[in-house]
Amino acid sequence: MHQTTLIVTLVLLLALAAAFIIAIRGSLVRQPSGDAAAATARIRSPMLWGLLAFGVVVTAVTLRPWPHTVASAEKPIIVSLTGSQWSWDFKPKQVPVGKPIVFAVTSTDVNHGVGIYDPDGRLLTQTQGMPGYINRVQFTFTKPGTYRLLCLEYCGLAHHDMIDQLKVVSN
Amino acid sequence: MAATSNTGHAVADDTGPRVIMALAGLVFVLLMTFGWLMLGSQGGYITLNPALFYQLLTAHGIGMVGTAGIAGVGIMWYFLRLYVPLNATVLWATIGIFLAGVALILFSIFVMGFAAGWTFLYPLPAKSAGVWEPRSAIVYLVGLLLVGVAFLLVYLDIGRALLAGYGGLGRALGWPMLFGKADEAPPPTVVAATAVMIVNTIGIVVGAAVIAISLVNLWLPSFDIDPLLAKNMIYFFGHVFINATIYMAVIAVYEIVPQYTGRPWKTTRIFLAAWSATLLMVMAVYPHHLFQDTVMPAWALVMGQILSYLSGVPVLAVTALSLLGYLYGAGVRWTLSLALLVLGVFGWAAGAIPAVIDGMIVVNKIMHNTLWVPGHFHYYLLLGMVAMSWGFMAWLTRAEADEEFGALDRLLFGAYVVGGIGLTTMFLYAGSRSVPRRWAVHLPEWGFAGKLGAPMALLVIAGAVWFLARYVMRFQTHQRVAPPAE
Repeated sequence: MHQTTLIVTLVLLLALAAAFIIAIRGSLVRQPSGDAAAATARIRSPMLWGLLAFGVVVTAVTLRPWPHTVASAEKPIIVSLTGSQWSWDFKPKQVPVGKPIVFAVTSTDVNHGVGIYDPDGRLLTQTQGMPGYINRVQFTFTKPGTYRLLCLEYCGLAHHDMIDQLKVVSN
Repeated sequence: MAATSNTGHAVADDTGPRVIMALAGLVFVLLMTFGWLMLGSQGGYITLNPALFYQLLTAHGIGMVGTAGIAGVGIMWYFLRLYVPLNATVLWATIGIFLAGVALILFSIFVMGFAAGWTFLYPLPAKSAGVWEPRSAIVYLVGLLLVGVAFLLVYLDIGRALLAGYGGLGRALGWPMLFGKADEAPPPTVVAATAVMIVNTIGIVVGAAVIAISLVNLWLPSFDIDPLLAKNMIYFFGHVFINATIYMAVIAVYEIVPQYTGRPWKTTRIFLAAWSATLLMVMAVYPHHLFQDTVMPAWALVMGQILSYLSGVPVLAVTALSLLGYLYGAGVRWTLSLALLVLGVFGWAAGAIPAVIDGMIVVNKIMHNTLWVPGHFHYYLLLGMVAMSWGFMAWLTRAEADEEFGALDRLLFGAYVVGGIGLTTMFLYAGSRSVPRRWAVHLPEWGFAGKLGAPMALLVIAGAVWFLARYVMRFQTHQRVAPPAE
C-alpha cells in the first residue's frame, strides 16, 4: 500500500508535468488563439466528467467497508492505551496474531497520536489520543514480532522520544 | 500616483503592496533558512537541541502561513484596487498591526521559548510539562490575534468596496451570469477576491474565537474547553486561511499571464462555477484533518473525503487547464515573471495530487502526520503560492524585455525548481517510508530525509535570495509602469 501510493502519486505528477511541458513548448510558436481555446474546451468537458466518474468509483471502493469499523462478530481484544507527556501506558503489552485488536486510545494531558509500526518500520495504522475522548481503531496483525508505538501528534519537547513496544505473538 | 480606473474611481496608491512584497520576500528567505536548519539537523549535518528545533518548527509554520497571507493580500490588493476603490490607509493599518503581531509571536518563541507548533493545538500551549511558561502562550496567542485583526481589517475594507462597486456579493461572484440571467460577469480578480473575502473573514472569526477561549483558559485554567471542538475550530481556520493564500496569489496569474500571451483570462461560466464551488468546499472540507479522530461523526469524515477529492477538480480542470490553453500557441517571450507564475500553477495543481490521495481515509491511516503531508503542502506553497509571489514581484519590477530572463535568472530559477521538486519528492518518499513529521530527532534509518532534503533546501534558498535581491535592487530605480488596462 505504501509503495503503491507513492508510485500512483509520482505517475500522476509526471503526467501533469508532461502536460505543462507540452504547453510550454507549444507556447513558443504563435497559432490562432481560437485553436487553443477550442482544444481546451474539447478537453475540459470529458476531463470534468471523467474526474467526477472516477471520484464516484474511488469513493465507493475506499469507503466500503467503513475504514473505521470496530468490532466484528468475533469478540475483539482491546488494548487500552493512554498517552501522557512523554510515554505510553497500555495493557496488555502482548497480543496474538490473526485476531482483531481494538486500540482504545486517550490522553491524560495534550493531543497525542499513536502510530503502530511493524518490525520493518512501516506504519500500519494510527489514531489520535485526545484528553476526554477515546478513539478506537481496529487492526489484525498477520505476523508475530516486536512492533513499535510512536507518537504522531506533536506534543512538546520529548515528542520524538515517545516510543514503546508491543509484542505480537503467534497462538 | 493618482490615477483613474476605467470604472471611474481614483485608484489607490500601490506603495503598500510593494512594501508588503519586500517584507514578505525577506521573511520567506529567513523562514526557508529555518527549514534548512531543521533538515540539516535531522540529516546530521548540524546539531540543534530539540527545544530550539521545535521553536524553529513553530516559527517556520506560523511565519510561513502569516507571510503567505500578507503576500496574498499584497497581490490581491494591488490588482483589486483597479476595479474597486480600496482604502490605502486601511492597508497601512493592516501592515502596522500585522507587524506588531509578528513581533509578539517572535518574542514568545525565541525569547520566551514557546514551541507548541503553529496550530497551537489545545491544550498544548497551556501544558508544556514545564518547557515554556503559560505566559509565553498568552503572548503568542495575543500576537496571533493581532495578526487576525490585521487581516480582518483589510478584508472588511475589501468587502465594503466590493459591495459599493457591484451592489452585492452574489453579483461580485458573477452569479447573474452563472445562473443565466446576464451575459457578462465581473473580471476574474473580482470573483476570486470576493470568494477570498467571504471565506477568510469567516475563517479568521472562527480562528479568533478559538484563540480567545484559549486565552481565557490560560488565564483561568478551570475554564475548560472541549479538545475536539477546539481541534475542529483550529483546523477549520487553518485550512481556510492557508488555502485563501493561494486563492489570493492566483490573481497574479489571472492578471499577468494575459499580458504575455495576449489572451485575456476570461470569466466564463465554468470559471464562475469553479469559484462558487470552491467557496463552499474550502469551508466544508476541513474534517479531512480529523480522519484519525474516530469519535468524529462518520458523516463529517465521509464529507471530508468526498470534498477533498472534489476540491482538486477546479484546480486541475479549470485553472491549470485554462493556463495551458492560454499558453499553447501564444508565441510568448518567456520572462522570469511568467516562468514563476506558470511554476506556481503547476505547484498548486501538483500539490492537489498527493493531497487528494491522502484525503482518502484508508490512505490517511498510513500517511497522516508523516512527511507525506509536508510533501503535498510544499508543492502547494513553496512551488505554488510562494512561486506566484516571486512571479508577481518580478513583474512589479520588470524592465526591458531583453533583460527579463537573463542567464542568472535562468540559472537560479532552475535551482529553485530542482531544489523545490527535489525537496517535495523527498518528503513524499519519506512519507511512503513512514517517517513522521515534526520529529526533532530522526531514527537512524530515517537519516536519508534530512541528508537529501538539506541540499535541496539550499538550492531553493539560492533561488529565493536571487528573486528577493533582484526585487530589492530594482525597487527604487525601476520605472513604475502604468497598471494593466481592464
